[in-house]
Amino acid sequence: MMKRLRAAAGVRLPLAILVLYVLVAIFAPLVAPYDPDTTTLAQRLMSPDAHHLMGTDALGRDVLSRTMYGTRVSLLVAVVAVLAAGIFGVALGVIAGWRRGWLGAVIMRLVDVVLSVPFFLLAILVVAVLGPSLVNVVLCLALVRWPRYARIAYSTTLQTRDRGFVRAATATGAPAWWIVLRHVLPEVLPVTIVVGTLELGLMVVYEASLSFLGLGVQPPTASWGSILSDGQQYLGSAWWLATFPGLALFVLVLAVNLLGDAARDRLDPARRTDVRRSRIFKREVVTA
Amino acid sequence: MRRSPSRVLSSGTTRYVAGRLGQALLALFGVVTIVFFALRLSGDPARLLVPDGATAADIDRLRDKLGLNASLWDQYLHFLGNALHGDLGYSYVQNRPATDLITERLPYTANLAVAALLLSLLFGVTVGVITALNRGKWQERVLMPIVLAGQAMPAFWTGLLLVLVFSVGLRWLPSTGYDGPLSLLLPSITLASLSAAAIARVTRGAVLEQLPLDYMRTARAKGASGFRLVSRHLARNTAIPVLTVAGLELANLLGGAVVTEVIFAWPGLGQLTIQSVSARDFPVVQATVILASAVYVVINLCTDLLYGVIDPRVSAGGKGEPA
Amino acid sequence: MGRDRTRKAVAAMAVALATAACGIAPATEGRDASTLVIDTTNYPSTLDPGQQYDTDSYSVYRNIFDPLLRRDPKTNELEPSIATSWSQVDPKTWKFAIRPGVTFSDGTPLTAADAAFSLNRILDKSFGSQQYANFSVVSAASAEGPDLIVRTSVPSPTLLSYLTTLSVVPEAYVKRVGDKEFAAKPIGSGPYVLASATAGSEIVLRANPTWWGPAPQVRGAVFRAVPNVASRVADLQSRKADLVTTLTPDAADQITRDPKLSILSTPTERVAYVAFNAINGGAVNDPRVRHAIAAAINYDALIKNLQRGYAKPINSLLSPLAFGYDTSLPDNRYDPATANRLIDEAGVRGATVVMATSPSFNPQIVQAIQADLAAVGLQVEIRNTDQATYLKKVQAPAHDWGAVRFGRWSCSCLDADGVIYPLFHTGTIWSSYSNPAFDKLVEQARTVTDPAKRVELYNASFRILADDLPGIGLFQDYAIYGANSRLGWTPDAQESFFLTDMKVS
Repeated sequence: MMKRLRAAAGVRLPLAILVLYVLVAIFAPLVAPYDPDTTTLAQRLMSPDAHHLMGTDALGRDVLSRTMYGTRVSLLVAVVAVLAAGIFGVALGVIAGWRRGWLGAVIMRLVDVVLSVPFFLLAILVVAVLGPSLVNVVLCLALVRWPRYARIAYSTTLQTRDRGFVRAATATGAPAWWIVLRHVLPEVLPVTIVVGTLELGLMVVYEASLSFLGLGVQPPTASWGSILSDGQQYLGSAWWLATFPGLALFVLVLAVNLLGDAARDRLDPARRTDVRRSRIFKREVVTA
Repeated sequence: MRRSPSRVLSSGTTRYVAGRLGQALLALFGVVTIVFFALRLSGDPARLLVPDGATAADIDRLRDKLGLNASLWDQYLHFLGNALHGDLGYSYVQNRPATDLITERLPYTANLAVAALLLSLLFGVTVGVITALNRGKWQERVLMPIVLAGQAMPAFWTGLLLVLVFSVGLRWLPSTGYDGPLSLLLPSITLASLSAAAIARVTRGAVLEQLPLDYMRTARAKGASGFRLVSRHLARNTAIPVLTVAGLELANLLGGAVVTEVIFAWPGLGQLTIQSVSARDFPVVQATVILASAVYVVINLCTDLLYGVIDPRVSAGGKGEPA
Repeated sequence: MGRDRTRKAVAAMAVALATAACGIAPATEGRDASTLVIDTTNYPSTLDPGQQYDTDSYSVYRNIFDPLLRRDPKTNELEPSIATSWSQVDPKTWKFAIRPGVTFSDGTPLTAADAAFSLNRILDKSFGSQQYANFSVVSAASAEGPDLIVRTSVPSPTLLSYLTTLSVVPEAYVKRVGDKEFAAKPIGSGPYVLASATAGSEIVLRANPTWWGPAPQVRGAVFRAVPNVASRVADLQSRKADLVTTLTPDAADQITRDPKLSILSTPTERVAYVAFNAINGGAVNDPRVRHAIAAAINYDALIKNLQRGYAKPINSLLSPLAFGYDTSLPDNRYDPATANRLIDEAGVRGATVVMATSPSFNPQIVQAIQADLAAVGLQVEIRNTDQATYLKKVQAPAHDWGAVRFGRWSCSCLDADGVIYPLFHTGTIWSSYSNPAFDKLVEQARTVTDPAKRVELYNASFRILADDLPGIGLFQDYAIYGANSRLGWTPDAQESFFLTDMKVS
């Protein structure tokens, strides 16, 4: 009984929340009570009431509707940024780990280059040069984050390629791409997926910080980040502006983390009774 | 990452460090080159410096003076040549050496970074150990969301909230700027709340990994008398992953906590960074990047070497796989 | 063994931390009741008055130096400062009598040669002053006995206006220590001297006991750089600061709720405006569309709701305080019916216009305008880039920056010449408009010194602008300061920030 409850809290509840968020994102036009961009200057900064459940913002727009539409943008930014960074990083990391040699060295030096510039410095540079827009924010986050995945993929590939089953496959003369797909990627992906899940929430927070520095998505587009950063100067006078999108963000981060933990337990090779692989897996996840 | 078999403090260490530094210099060169050209792709510092009524000729005159009318390639060679002599140029905006500007700001950033790191270690490790030892119990269910909340709140929000409560409401702590050690408290809590979650997660994971091992079982079976043994072994075995993450956080914090510094009017590198990027103050941005990269490299090297000190079974670089 | 290692590791870490965590001392000096703590947005880019003339810099350095001329804070009339009197020798030559008996704070006397040097170094190309544009009409400045002689290449009606922004610096000291050292340790003849400076953070001024004017009541001032507006509000509310600059109207509302705090504000020469790309702006190349946009903007809503009353309606792209403002023109009028009619006449209903902007310009106003235009059938695509990119795009000779932009303009000269010439004369960096008749009028008004004739020329220019409408003045902007009620001060239209005008209790 207790066990089932715990399992529910561990997976089902966060999963339900995530599904709810995705549904809100997809069906925002149907569920949002108002148009998110319609300004009514005469009704600006109204506290929450029956008409505007989350109040209105500095241009008289409905905060609830904006938060709903913001879910779209924020989830999109987070998911696409994680996917792009993950795919790019894993691809490069696996290539570097499999081929080694000069190509591997070049790729891993590139990883060092990107990692050695502090996140915000790099993000500010990228957005300043490219100009702030939804696409560029995603691009910027992906550009900044891919080295993490590349590192994980690289070290996992290195460890995998020397293992018995990979050597055996190589000995049979199987083509490299097949071995990578069949044997290496299955080792790399579980770690990457766990790390990617954890990164999702972080991407939303980063997008918010970029918005605060004037480098986020374009007005009047609503994202949680843009609503939060618009609301920052009203924290002492109109608390509802930043509170609701902030809560939405918090619940997302919580859900995603619980899911990430669950995914780690589920994907952990320990379940497949391989202690050595399990330890490698845990170390990679933990320090990622 | 080259995996040198050498042991810490052995003769191989020197070679290992030299190799790492060589690689780092190469990376630094790459960073600087990319930043140099990327910066010049957009925006013109001269346009930001002249008054609104200036003419195109006025702007051109200023560009001449700043050396921006030379070809990009010439500017790059000139920059490299000077950089080799330790001259990173003069700030366009402040007309002072870029190196002076960043060395003035560094102590503020270092203070803030160290204070934030200590706080997040204190909080993160405590929460990590408690939640690992009480896996699935109420302690985990209460503590983890609190730590995650810190990570989920952007710094501009947490920071101002703290100011509103502790400076405006209670008048206990100074709101912005630096007026002594008390001023350090709010900004470092803001920063620590962001990194505590990462440290708590790592600690928890590392402790969980140790729990099922034999020595832990034995120690636990011995009861209270085994506590010391547990804490000693546990500390040694969890220190490495925690240190890895802490090192990374410190490197990031030393690069300048942009948002937090803006909120708290903290005169560190973060504010300097955002201001000089938006002013296209090329020499200062370049200097900041060089400093941040150097700090990153040195801290990584230090954590790698520390592994050996903490656990002699680990060779330098062996676990030097900072994610 | 293991514990020993752990201890060593801890010790090593402690040493590392200790070395990192030192080297900064609190900047705060003894701050008594006669010292004001002032939050500005940015740390001054320089304390050398020959370099930059931006608000954050001059707010500090103009208290260390004396200007050649100043304006009465209430009437904006020219007043003596270092120059006690002035006269026009011929149309291109001005003579200024320099105040006798003034000394710099290092004891050296201030002479006409110092005044000439102050102007000439701005004109010196190798010095690279950013203010060159303001004085480019000057051909030479020289000292003749106790007088300063300023010659211009053409007769200049705005010379005196710009000379109110000229600070007099000590020639001997500057030459002795060099420009860089001078910027770090400025010495002036003004009411305050630099006590200390913490880079990027704060600057402390102290009253100059040897100043020639009446002793100021504010004995010291601490200028702090606080870029975030909500943090400045918190500083005021927590009594950390006595005076904060550059507040938003909403922040002002918040401050007035505290009975111990008050808002000091004044209409300035700054105007908020919308400018069109009349050369390569697509739909807005048609003057009808520009007139439609002018009629579509709800000016009252901007002023009442967004500016919370901290703005005044205007009829053209000029502050009513400036020379050349034509009071006979009608104020802007919100008239959606006319806007709709013009949109249909021009056949652009549903068209998309690109609005270029940067984070420096109030995004609320930009979005409100976007909504106003959407209401009459024009879709606005906001293209927001950072200021550096924005300037490069808008000022590019290709005029491909979009169709509409929002901005704020102030020339610190209180004269139409400093506004409509750079904004609309053919070929200036800001202008995406060309009309030879207009060009001729504003060129002429530049070189005529007779005020009556100039008024005539500007009236004609503004009539052309009202017809062609290459830009719309939205409102006259206010400067909004928040202050502890112990401070008594009336800010002035030029946003000069003279501590001598302030009183504390």
